[in-house]
Amino acid sequence: MTTPLLEIEDLCARAGDKEIIKDFNLTINEGEVHAIMGPNGAGKSTLSYVLCGKPGYEITSGSIKFKGRDLISMSIEERAREGLFLIMQYPVEIPGVPTTAFLKHAVNAIRKHNHESELDTMAFIKMVRETGKNLGIDAEMLKRPVNVGFSGGEKKRMETLQMAVLKPDMAILDEADSGLDIDALKVVAGGVNSLRDGKRSMLVITHYQRLLNYIIPDFVHVFANGHIVKSGDKNLALELEEKGYAEFIRDKA
Amino acid sequence: MGGLIQDIKLRGHDLPKLEALREKGRNSFLSQGLPTPKTEAWKYTRVRTLTGNDFVIEETKVSKCSCKQHQTCCCTDQSFSLPFDAYEIRFCNGKLQNDHFHLPEGVEALPLTEAFDDPDIFHLLNKSFDMDKFPFAALNTAYLEQGIFLRIGRDIVLDKPIAFLYHTSGGLKRFACLRNLIVLETGAQAEMIEYYHYSGAPKSEYFNNIVHEIYIGRNAKLRHYAVQNEAFKAVHIALTAVKVKENGHFESFCLQKGADLARRETHVVLQEPDAKTNVNAVYMMNGWATLDTTTDVEHLAPHTLSGQLIKGVVGGQAKGVFQGKIHIAPKAQQIEGNQLHRALLLSDDAEVDIKPELEIFADDVKCSHGAACGELDAEQLFYLQSRGIGAEEARQMLIEAFIDEAFQTIENPSVREWIKSI
Ligand SMILES: Nc1ncnc2c1ncn2[C@@H]1O[C@H](COP(=O)(O)OP(=O)(O)O)[C@@H](O)[C@H]1O
Ligand SMILES: [Mg+2]
Repeated sequence: MTTPLLEIEDLCARAGDKEIIKDFNLTINEGEVHAIMGPNGAGKSTLSYVLCGKPGYEITSGSIKFKGRDLISMSIEERAREGLFLIMQYPVEIPGVPTTAFLKHAVNAIRKHNHESELDTMAFIKMVRETGKNLGIDAEMLKRPVNVGFSGGEKKRMETLQMAVLKPDMAILDEADSGLDIDALKVVAGGVNSLRDGKRSMLVITHYQRLLNYIIPDFVHVFANGHIVKSGDKNLALELEEKGYAEFIRDKA
Repeated sequence: MGGLIQDIKLRGHDLPKLEALREKGRNSFLSQGLPTPKTEAWKYTRVRTLTGNDFVIEETKVSKCSCKQHQTCCCTDQSFSLPFDAYEIRFCNGKLQNDHFHLPEGVEALPLTEAFDDPDIFHLLNKSFDMDKFPFAALNTAYLEQGIFLRIGRDIVLDKPIAFLYHTSGGLKRFACLRNLIVLETGAQAEMIEYYHYSGAPKSEYFNNIVHEIYIGRNAKLRHYAVQNEAFKAVHIALTAVKVKENGHFESFCLQKGADLARRETHVVLQEPDAKTNVNAVYMMNGWATLDTTTDVEHLAPHTLSGQLIKGVVGGQAKGVFQGKIHIAPKAQQIEGNQLHRALLLSDDAEVDIKPELEIFADDVKCSHGAACGELDAEQLFYLQSRGIGAEEARQMLIEAFIDEAFQTIENPSVREWIKSI
């Protein structure tokens, strides 16, 4: 039995005057891991932002359903509280906001939404420290302001920690591997894999096949010209690694 | 022109020993008049509210709290006390309330009128500023009477802050002129708080005109905190004029949150080598207020240091003004003077006017200044919201994070927490 979690139909979206997503269709069922691969500038990050409701992107047509509900009409925070999470390609630095305090606000906002009692500081810190251990995130890092002065690898590990703590139903990973050496990549992939439980779904966006050796997808899609041009299983990723994206990019001439 | 200028000729209370000085103040104010947009030092801050507005000086013979019959008297209002221990000096509606000061040995406090019997003290009056350049300090001089003289003796280190609590209750459109003279002798160390607060109708209109003259002796240090939380239709104009001797340190923090029109001006003269000052401030407002923070640091001697960090958050149709001047005299070498102003505009109609000025006549000088205004960062907001944090809460988190750098300059943690909670 498959239950659709995310259903994107005929989606068109633009940033400024530029139409970036064109007639995009994708359904992700509960428990499935989908990978989207595409050349730089194809619109992969744009797709992830549109799903999360980032301002500055305009949906011109189509529909997105999340757990059967219209996602487009939800606010950014509502989407997050409903269980959508994005590991960002470039996590922003927020000076003056300590990571722990920020994460506690986030956890409790989501718990409140789910009619769960708010965690007190002690219980929260214990939970975050334990989760952090597996990701190589120590207490000192948690005290620092959100992402401030973090290396590329530290930022991605912190994103993974947030995902582990917020326990989304659907996680989108936007180039979670960019800028990571192989050890850091394994740590991040390990964190992601530990959240795979047959129910939680994932959309793994990447330019390179490498990440998919560690996070093994059920489906691979090639994204070019604003939509999915080819779908397959994990072998499609290997094929792409070999041949590149050239055959999928529409001849501009 | 309205009441202020006309009534200034009407004197209530005879104080013969002050009359000559008051007369000078009167003449100085009358010749300067109220500042106009053409007055360079007041270019951005309009004092229109003051013209044609009949503020009254309350009968000076009434020396005690005139609000005792009200429930919101300063003497009973709990919100008008501090959450930590302090030596309290209370003013209510412009009148000193203390019969006793209960200060430790080596610390002397006297009502101004008594203190002036001592010619040495009288001699200090109006010596920390030139009233012909400060119209409101001239006006304050014309009404000189209320305030205290405070002296912290040689090498005395105070165990808790001295708090000047200024309370205004609703009702009359009161005009209060207050003057405090503060002397830290060689090696003295103290913390001082000025807290402006009101009770009664939030729409109370009143005008507080305050001058603090502070003399910091050799090796002495004063931490000075001012919290301006006046009623939202009030006018608050304050000058803090400070002179710092060799290796003395004047460290100040000012929070402005209230009033319709407020200007707090801090003028520090680093007179002798190794004198230091930090002048930090936060202003936050909505509505229609104009809040002005003006600083002027004069480096007259070599090896002097100054640092300023000013942060503002302005919403609604409010207007923030920051004017900051660093002056370095020709013989003042090996100077460091830094100034940083940042403001956050929360609405399209909010406005911040900035005028940084550097006047450098020496060459061995390290000076920096920066002034900027911006909006909340959209990427940061999106990031917080994308983790489930509500839009309003996310905005508050970012505003607090923005301001916090300035609050962190407050070294005393109880004072810091109190100021953050206001
Ligand atoms: N806010 C924006 N305004 C205008 N163009 C944008 C905006 N965001 C992205 N783009 C453009 O859209 C295209 C897709 O960008 P992006 O989604 O970041 O691609 P990818 O993540 O696949 O590399 C690029 O050409 C980029 O320059
Ligand atoms: Mg991208």
